[in-house]
Amino acid sequence: MINLKVVSPQKVIFEKEVEMAVLPGAEGDFAAMPNHSPFISSLRPGQMAIMSSNKVDESFFVSGGLVMLKEKVCEVLVDQIEPLSDVNSSNYQQSKTYQELEGNETALGTFEQVVNNPPYK
Amino acid sequence: MPNLKELKNRISSVKSTRKITSAMKMVAASKLRRAQELAESSRVYADSLSFILSSLAGNTKNSTDLPEILTGRENSKISLLIINSSDRGLCGGFNSNLFRNAKKWISDQQGQGKSVKIMTVGKKASSFYKKTDLDIVASFEDLNSNDRQLQVSEEIKNKIMELFENNEIDEVSILFNKFVSAISQEPTYQSLIPLSNEETSEDQSEANNAIFEFEPDKNELLEYLVPRNFLTQIYRSVLESSASEHAARMTSMDNATRNAGDMIDRLTLTYNRTRQAFITKELIEIISGAEAV
Repeated sequence: MINLKVVSPQKVIFEKEVEMAVLPGAEGDFAAMPNHSPFISSLRPGQMAIMSSNKVDESFFVSGGLVMLKEKVCEVLVDQIEPLSDVNSSNYQQSKTYQELEGNETALGTFEQVVNNPPYK
Repeated sequence: MPNLKELKNRISSVKSTRKITSAMKMVAASKLRRAQELAESSRVYADSLSFILSSLAGNTKNSTDLPEILTGRENSKISLLIINSSDRGLCGGFNSNLFRNAKKWISDQQGQGKSVKIMTVGKKASSFYKKTDLDIVASFEDLNSNDRQLQVSEEIKNKIMELFENNEIDEVSILFNKFVSAISQEPTYQSLIPLSNEETSEDQSEANNAIFEFEPDKNELLEYLVPRNFLTQIYRSVLESSASEHAARMTSMDNATRNAGDMIDRLTLTYNRTRQAFITKELIEIISGAEAV
Protein backbone atom coordinates (compact mmCIF):
# COMPACT_ATOMS: atom_id res chain seq x y z
CA MET A 1 0.00 0.00 0.00
CA ILE A 2 1.15 3.50 -0.73
CA ASN A 3 0.17 6.60 1.20
CA LEU A 4 -1.57 8.93 -1.22
CA LYS A 5 -1.81 12.52 -0.05
CA VAL A 6 -3.67 15.05 -2.13
CA VAL A 7 -3.05 18.67 -1.19
CA SER A 8 -4.39 21.92 -2.60
CA PRO A 9 -2.94 25.34 -1.75
CA GLN A 10 -5.75 25.77 0.76
CA LYS A 11 -5.86 22.42 2.50
CA VAL A 12 -5.19 18.71 2.57
CA ILE A 13 -7.99 17.27 0.48
CA PHE A 14 -7.52 13.66 1.48
CA GLU A 15 -4.90 11.24 2.64
CA LYS A 16 -5.29 7.49 2.41
CA GLU A 17 -3.60 4.17 1.79
CA VAL A 18 -4.11 2.92 -1.74
CA GLU A 19 -2.83 0.01 -3.75
CA MET A 20 -2.09 2.01 -6.84
CA ALA A 21 -2.77 5.49 -8.18
CA VAL A 22 -2.53 6.38 -11.85
CA LEU A 23 -1.54 9.98 -12.46
CA PRO A 24 -1.43 12.10 -15.61
CA GLY A 25 2.26 13.06 -15.68
CA ALA A 26 3.44 15.79 -18.00
CA GLU A 27 5.08 13.25 -20.31
CA GLY A 28 2.62 10.42 -19.97
CA ASP A 29 0.53 8.61 -17.43
CA PHE A 30 2.29 6.70 -14.70
CA ALA A 31 1.27 4.51 -11.83
CA ALA A 32 2.35 5.26 -8.29
CA MET A 33 3.02 2.09 -6.33
CA PRO A 34 5.11 1.33 -3.25
CA ASN A 35 8.90 1.39 -3.73
CA HIS A 36 8.77 3.45 -6.85
CA SER A 37 12.09 5.24 -7.36
CA PRO A 38 12.11 8.83 -6.03
CA PHE A 39 10.41 10.86 -8.66
CA ILE A 40 9.13 14.39 -9.19
CA SER A 41 6.90 15.33 -12.06
CA SER A 42 4.45 17.98 -13.07
CA LEU A 43 0.93 17.00 -14.05
CA ARG A 44 -1.08 17.85 -17.12
CA PRO A 45 -4.85 18.17 -16.90
CA GLY A 46 -6.30 14.71 -16.88
CA GLN A 47 -7.65 11.81 -14.93
CA MET A 48 -6.29 10.57 -11.63
CA ALA A 49 -7.45 7.04 -10.91
CA ILE A 50 -7.19 5.18 -7.62
CA MET A 51 -7.06 1.49 -8.39
CA SER A 52 -7.07 -1.83 -6.61
CA SER A 53 -6.76 -5.25 -8.26
CA ASN A 54 -7.00 -3.73 -11.73
CA LYS A 55 -10.25 -1.94 -11.07
CA VAL A 56 -10.77 1.78 -10.71
CA ASP A 57 -12.10 2.54 -7.25
CA GLU A 58 -12.23 6.27 -7.52
CA SER A 59 -11.70 8.65 -10.36
CA PHE A 60 -10.82 12.34 -10.24
CA PHE A 61 -10.15 15.13 -12.62
CA VAL A 62 -7.04 17.20 -11.86
CA SER A 63 -6.42 20.47 -13.62
CA GLY A 64 -2.66 20.29 -13.21
CA GLY A 65 -0.11 20.25 -10.44
CA LEU A 66 2.93 18.44 -9.16
CA VAL A 67 3.62 15.03 -7.81
CA MET A 68 6.41 13.80 -5.56
CA LEU A 69 6.99 10.09 -5.09
CA LYS A 70 9.14 8.66 -2.31
CA GLU A 71 9.23 5.03 -1.22
CA LYS A 72 5.80 4.69 0.34
CA VAL A 73 4.55 8.23 -0.01
CA CYS A 74 2.90 9.84 -2.97
CA GLU A 75 2.25 13.54 -2.53
CA VAL A 76 0.09 15.18 -5.13
CA LEU A 77 0.02 18.98 -5.12
CA VAL A 78 -2.97 19.88 -7.22
CA ASP A 79 -4.29 23.18 -8.50
CA GLN A 80 -7.82 21.90 -8.58
CA ILE A 81 -9.38 18.51 -8.20
CA GLU A 82 -12.93 17.25 -8.65
CA PRO A 83 -14.46 13.79 -8.69
CA LEU A 84 -14.74 12.99 -12.39
CA SER A 85 -18.47 12.49 -12.12
CA ASP A 86 -18.89 16.08 -10.90
CA VAL A 87 -17.04 17.56 -13.84
CA ASN A 88 -19.91 16.80 -16.20
CA SER A 89 -22.47 18.41 -13.97
CA SER A 90 -23.75 21.74 -15.23
CA ASN A 91 -22.56 23.37 -12.02
CA TYR A 92 -18.94 22.71 -12.76
CA GLN A 93 -19.26 23.57 -16.41
CA GLN A 94 -19.89 27.15 -15.44
CA SER A 95 -16.71 27.37 -13.37
CA LYS A 96 -13.65 29.31 -14.48
CA THR A 97 -11.35 26.28 -14.65
CA TYR A 98 -13.75 24.45 -16.90
CA GLN A 99 -13.97 27.31 -19.31
CA GLU A 100 -10.22 27.74 -19.36
CA LEU A 101 -9.68 24.07 -20.09
CA GLU A 102 -12.45 23.72 -22.61
CA GLY A 103 -11.01 22.71 -25.97
CA ASN A 104 -7.56 22.39 -24.42
CA GLU A 105 -5.41 19.71 -26.06
CA THR A 106 -3.98 17.17 -23.68
CA ALA A 107 -1.86 14.20 -24.64
CA LEU A 108 -5.00 12.10 -24.85
CA GLY A 109 -7.14 14.46 -26.85
CA THR A 110 -9.23 17.41 -25.83
CA PHE A 111 -10.41 18.12 -22.33
CA GLU A 112 -13.95 17.10 -23.27
CA GLN A 113 -12.76 13.75 -24.53
CA VAL A 114 -10.90 13.05 -21.30
CA VAL A 115 -13.94 13.92 -19.25
CA ASN A 116 -16.49 12.10 -21.34
CA ASN A 117 -14.34 9.11 -22.07
CA PRO A 118 -11.78 8.73 -19.27
CA PRO A 119 -8.80 6.51 -20.15
CA TYR A 120 -9.28 4.42 -17.00
CA LYS A 121 -12.68 3.00 -16.29
CA MET B 1 -21.39 71.09 39.91
CA PRO B 2 -21.86 68.59 37.04
CA ASN B 3 -25.33 68.20 35.73
CA LEU B 4 -26.96 64.89 36.78
CA LYS B 5 -28.78 64.43 33.49
CA GLU B 6 -25.57 65.00 31.55
CA LEU B 7 -23.72 62.40 33.63
CA LYS B 8 -26.47 59.88 33.09
CA ASN B 9 -26.34 60.32 29.34
CA ARG B 10 -22.59 60.01 29.39
CA ILE B 11 -22.75 56.74 31.33
CA SER B 12 -25.27 55.22 28.98
CA SER B 13 -23.26 56.21 25.93
CA VAL B 14 -20.07 54.68 27.35
CA LYS B 15 -22.05 51.56 28.18
CA SER B 16 -23.19 51.16 24.59
CA THR B 17 -19.63 51.73 23.39
CA ARG B 18 -18.54 48.96 25.69
CA LYS B 19 -21.16 46.67 24.23
CA ILE B 20 -19.86 47.34 20.73
CA THR B 21 -16.20 46.85 21.60
CA SER B 22 -16.85 43.65 23.48
CA ALA B 23 -18.90 42.30 20.59
CA MET B 24 -16.06 43.19 18.20
CA LYS B 25 -13.65 41.41 20.46
CA MET B 26 -15.79 38.28 20.38
CA VAL B 27 -16.07 38.40 16.58
CA ALA B 28 -12.32 38.96 16.20
CA ALA B 29 -11.61 36.01 18.48
CA SER B 30 -13.70 33.62 16.43
CA LYS B 31 -12.32 34.96 13.15
CA LEU B 32 -8.84 34.58 14.55
CA ARG B 33 -9.43 30.91 15.20
CA ARG B 34 -10.59 30.43 11.62
CA ALA B 35 -7.70 32.40 10.19
CA GLN B 36 -5.23 30.36 12.21
CA GLU B 37 -6.74 27.12 11.00
CA LEU B 38 -6.48 28.29 7.42
CA ALA B 39 -2.88 29.34 7.88
CA GLU B 40 -2.11 25.95 9.33
CA SER B 41 -3.88 23.91 6.67
CA SER B 42 -2.17 25.83 3.88
CA ARG B 43 1.20 25.05 5.39
CA VAL B 44 1.26 21.45 4.10
CA TYR B 45 1.21 22.56 0.49
CA ALA B 46 3.78 25.30 1.07
CA ASP B 47 6.16 22.93 2.85
CA SER B 48 5.95 20.26 0.15
CA LEU B 49 6.45 22.85 -2.54
CA SER B 50 9.52 24.36 -0.91
CA PHE B 51 10.88 20.85 -0.38
CA ILE B 52 10.53 20.10 -4.09
CA LEU B 53 12.02 23.45 -5.01
CA SER B 54 15.02 23.01 -2.76
CA SER B 55 15.66 19.48 -4.03
CA LEU B 56 15.51 20.84 -7.55
CA ALA B 57 17.69 23.85 -6.91
CA GLY B 58 19.98 21.87 -4.61
CA ASN B 59 20.60 19.28 -7.29
CA THR B 60 21.66 21.89 -9.73
CA LYS B 61 25.28 22.30 -8.72
CA ASN B 62 25.97 25.37 -10.74
CA SER B 63 23.83 28.25 -9.62
CA THR B 64 24.25 29.98 -12.97
CA ASP B 65 22.00 27.30 -14.43
CA LEU B 66 19.13 28.63 -12.38
CA PRO B 67 16.83 31.19 -13.95
CA GLU B 68 17.15 34.86 -13.10
CA ILE B 69 13.81 34.89 -11.37
CA LEU B 70 15.19 32.60 -8.65
CA THR B 71 18.62 34.09 -8.13
CA GLY B 72 17.76 37.72 -8.86
CA ARG B 73 19.49 40.11 -11.21
CA GLU B 74 22.91 41.50 -10.64
CA ASN B 75 22.99 45.25 -10.06
CA SER B 76 19.35 45.39 -9.13
CA LYS B 77 18.01 48.92 -9.33
CA ILE B 78 14.31 48.79 -8.70
CA SER B 79 12.74 47.08 -5.68
CA LEU B 80 9.11 46.28 -5.33
CA LEU B 81 7.58 46.12 -1.88
CA ILE B 82 4.25 44.41 -1.35
CA ILE B 83 2.56 45.74 1.77
CA ASN B 84 -0.08 43.62 3.46
CA SER B 85 -2.37 45.85 5.48
CA SER B 86 -5.94 45.42 6.66
CA ASP B 87 -9.16 46.58 5.05
CA ARG B 88 -10.62 47.91 8.26
CA GLY B 89 -9.39 49.94 11.17
CA LEU B 90 -9.93 49.54 14.91
CA CYS B 91 -7.07 47.10 15.24
CA GLY B 92 -4.61 49.02 17.36
CA GLY B 93 -1.17 49.65 15.97
CA PHE B 94 -1.51 46.97 13.31
CA ASN B 95 -1.26 49.24 10.28
CA SER B 96 0.71 52.14 11.70
CA ASN B 97 3.47 49.79 12.89
CA LEU B 98 3.65 48.33 9.43
CA PHE B 99 3.82 51.69 7.68
CA ARG B 100 6.48 52.98 10.06
CA ASN B 101 8.54 49.89 9.34
CA ALA B 102 8.02 50.22 5.60
CA LYS B 103 9.14 53.84 5.69
CA LYS B 104 12.45 52.83 7.21
CA TRP B 105 12.92 50.03 4.71
CA ILE B 106 12.15 52.32 1.79
CA SER B 107 14.64 54.96 2.89
CA ASP B 108 17.22 52.19 3.41
CA GLN B 109 16.72 51.00 -0.15
CA GLN B 110 16.85 54.53 -1.49
CA GLY B 111 20.06 55.01 0.47
CA GLN B 112 21.51 52.11 -1.49
CA GLY B 113 20.65 53.89 -4.69
CA LYS B 114 17.63 51.77 -5.56
CA SER B 115 14.28 53.14 -6.48
CA VAL B 116 11.24 51.68 -4.76
CA LYS B 117 7.85 50.74 -6.10
CA ILE B 118 4.91 49.79 -3.94
CA MET B 119 2.10 47.31 -4.26
CA THR B 120 -0.62 47.64 -1.65
CA VAL B 121 -2.96 45.03 -0.23
CA GLY B 122 -5.87 46.23 1.87
CA LYS B 123 -7.72 49.54 1.94
CA LYS B 124 -5.60 51.03 4.70
CA ALA B 125 -2.36 50.77 2.76
CA SER B 126 -3.82 52.08 -0.47
CA SER B 127 -5.29 55.15 1.20
CA PHE B 128 -2.06 55.74 3.14
CA TYR B 129 0.29 55.49 0.17
CA LYS B 130 -1.92 57.53 -2.12
CA LYS B 131 -0.84 60.53 -0.12
CA THR B 132 2.86 59.81 -0.54
CA ASP B 133 4.80 60.38 -3.75
CA LEU B 134 5.81 56.72 -4.06
CA ASP B 135 5.08 54.83 -7.23
CA ILE B 136 2.14 52.48 -6.61
CA VAL B 137 2.02 49.77 -9.26
CA ALA B 138 -1.15 48.07 -8.08
CA SER B 139 -3.65 48.05 -5.21
CA PHE B 140 -5.79 45.20 -4.02
CA GLU B 141 -8.73 45.61 -1.68
CA ASP B 142 -11.60 43.73 -0.03
CA LEU B 143 -9.90 40.55 1.03
CA ASN B 144 -12.95 39.47 2.93
CA SER B 145 -13.14 35.77 2.11
CA ASN B 146 -10.70 32.93 1.71
CA ASP B 147 -11.48 32.51 -1.99
CA ARG B 148 -10.84 36.18 -2.49
CA GLN B 149 -7.51 35.89 -0.65
CA LEU B 150 -6.43 33.16 -3.03
CA GLN B 151 -7.64 35.12 -6.01
CA VAL B 152 -5.75 38.25 -4.94
CA SER B 153 -2.59 36.19 -4.37
CA GLU B 154 -2.92 34.89 -7.91
CA GLU B 155 -3.34 38.41 -9.28
CA ILE B 156 -0.31 39.66 -7.35
CA LYS B 157 1.73 36.74 -8.67
CA ASN B 158 0.74 37.46 -12.27
CA LYS B 159 1.53 41.12 -11.82
CA ILE B 160 5.02 40.58 -10.41
CA MET B 161 5.88 38.01 -13.08
CA GLU B 162 4.81 40.48 -15.73
CA LEU B 163 6.73 43.37 -14.17
CA PHE B 164 9.85 41.26 -13.76
CA GLU B 165 9.78 40.10 -17.36
CA ASN B 166 9.37 43.65 -18.60
CA ASN B 167 12.41 44.67 -16.53
CA GLU B 168 10.30 47.10 -14.57
CA ILE B 169 11.41 45.57 -11.28
CA ASP B 170 14.54 43.68 -10.21
CA GLU B 171 13.71 42.63 -6.68
CA VAL B 172 10.52 41.79 -4.86
CA SER B 173 9.94 41.75 -1.12
CA ILE B 174 6.80 41.27 0.80
CA LEU B 175 5.99 42.94 4.11
CA PHE B 176 3.40 41.55 6.45
CA ASN B 177 2.60 41.29 10.13
CA LYS B 178 3.80 37.91 11.21
CA PHE B 179 1.54 36.16 13.67
CA VAL B 180 3.67 35.40 16.73
CA SER B 181 0.94 35.04 19.32
CA ALA B 182 -2.47 36.51 20.05
CA ILE B 183 -0.82 39.46 21.75
CA SER B 184 2.17 40.01 19.55
CA GLN B 185 2.60 40.53 15.83
CA GLU B 186 5.82 41.36 14.15
CA PRO B 187 6.33 43.26 10.89
CA THR B 188 8.35 40.84 8.74
CA TYR B 189 10.01 41.04 5.34
CA GLN B 190 10.29 38.17 3.00
CA SER B 191 12.23 38.28 -0.19
CA LEU B 192 10.58 36.68 -3.23
CA ILE B 193 13.14 37.69 -5.85
CA PRO B 194 15.85 36.64 -5.14
CA LEU B 195 14.39 33.65 -3.36
CA SER B 196 15.31 33.53 0.30
CA ASN B 197 16.60 30.20 1.50
CA GLU B 198 15.80 30.56 5.18
CA GLU B 199 12.66 28.50 5.20
CA THR B 200 14.04 25.71 3.10
CA SER B 201 17.32 25.33 4.96
CA GLU B 202 15.93 22.70 7.32
CA ASP B 203 14.87 20.44 4.50
CA GLN B 204 17.99 21.17 2.53
CA SER B 205 20.15 18.29 3.73
CA GLU B 206 17.34 15.79 3.40
CA ALA B 207 16.38 17.13 0.01
CA ASN B 208 19.94 16.83 -1.24
CA ASN B 209 20.23 13.27 -0.06
CA ALA B 210 17.27 11.88 -1.89
CA ILE B 211 18.01 11.54 -5.57
CA PHE B 212 14.94 12.32 -7.52
CA GLU B 213 14.23 11.74 -11.13
CA PHE B 214 12.60 14.71 -12.75
CA GLU B 215 10.04 14.76 -15.47
CA PRO B 216 9.98 16.85 -17.62
CA ASP B 217 13.55 18.15 -17.23
CA LYS B 218 14.56 20.50 -14.45
CA ASN B 219 14.20 23.71 -16.36
CA GLU B 220 10.69 22.97 -17.47
CA LEU B 221 9.76 21.95 -13.95
CA LEU B 222 11.26 25.14 -12.57
CA GLU B 223 9.21 27.13 -15.03
CA TYR B 224 6.13 25.62 -13.49
CA LEU B 225 7.39 25.70 -9.92
CA VAL B 226 8.59 29.27 -9.64
CA PRO B 227 5.22 30.95 -10.19
CA ARG B 228 3.57 28.32 -7.98
CA ASN B 229 6.07 29.10 -5.27
CA PHE B 230 5.36 32.83 -5.53
CA LEU B 231 1.68 32.14 -5.24
CA THR B 232 2.09 30.05 -2.10
CA GLN B 233 4.45 32.53 -0.46
CA ILE B 234 2.11 35.42 -1.19
CA TYR B 235 -0.93 33.48 -0.12
CA ARG B 236 0.81 32.49 3.06
CA SER B 237 1.72 36.08 3.88
CA VAL B 238 -1.86 37.16 3.21
CA LEU B 239 -3.13 34.49 5.61
CA GLU B 240 -0.56 35.38 8.28
CA SER B 241 -1.49 39.00 7.94
CA SER B 242 -5.18 38.26 8.33
CA ALA B 243 -4.56 36.16 11.44
CA SER B 244 -2.45 39.00 12.85
CA GLU B 245 -5.14 41.53 12.03
CA HIS B 246 -7.76 39.62 13.97
CA ALA B 247 -5.36 39.09 16.85
CA ALA B 248 -4.51 42.79 16.92
CA ARG B 249 -8.16 43.71 16.82
CA MET B 250 -8.96 41.27 19.58
CA THR B 251 -6.31 42.73 21.91
CA SER B 252 -7.16 46.33 21.16
CA MET B 253 -10.88 45.73 21.58
CA ASP B 254 -10.19 43.92 24.83
CA ASN B 255 -8.32 46.99 26.04
CA ALA B 256 -11.10 49.27 24.86
CA THR B 257 -13.69 47.19 26.70
CA ARG B 258 -11.64 47.33 29.88
CA ASN B 259 -11.14 51.09 29.55
CA ALA B 260 -14.84 51.61 29.01
CA GLY B 261 -15.50 49.60 32.17
CA ASP B 262 -13.11 51.79 34.18
CA MET B 263 -14.70 54.89 32.76
CA ILE B 264 -18.17 53.68 33.69
CA ASP B 265 -16.98 53.03 37.26
CA ARG B 266 -15.53 56.52 37.55
CA LEU B 267 -18.56 58.18 36.05
CA THR B 268 -20.93 56.21 38.28
CA LEU B 269 -18.93 57.31 41.31
CA THR B 270 -19.15 60.96 40.25
CA TYR B 271 -22.83 60.51 39.52
CA ASN B 272 -23.53 59.07 42.97
CA ARG B 273 -21.47 61.74 44.70
CA THR B 274 -23.26 64.49 42.83
CA ARG B 275 -26.62 62.98 43.63
CA GLN B 276 -25.65 62.69 47.31
CA ALA B 277 -24.50 66.32 47.29
CA PHE B 278 -27.86 67.41 45.91
CA ILE B 279 -29.73 65.52 48.61
CA THR B 280 -27.52 66.96 51.36
CA LYS B 281 -27.99 70.42 49.95
CA GLU B 282 -31.76 70.03 49.89
CA LEU B 283 -31.76 68.69 53.46
CA ILE B 284 -29.69 71.63 54.67
CA GLU B 285 -32.11 74.00 53.00
CA ILE B 286 -35.12 72.32 54.65
CA ILE B 287 -33.51 72.18 58.08
CA SER B 288 -32.24 75.74 58.02
CA GLY B 289 -35.66 76.82 56.75
CA ALA B 290 -37.36 75.02 59.66
CA GLU B 291 -34.90 76.53 62.15
CA ALA B 292 -35.59 80.03 60.89
CA VAL B 293 -39.26 79.53 61.68
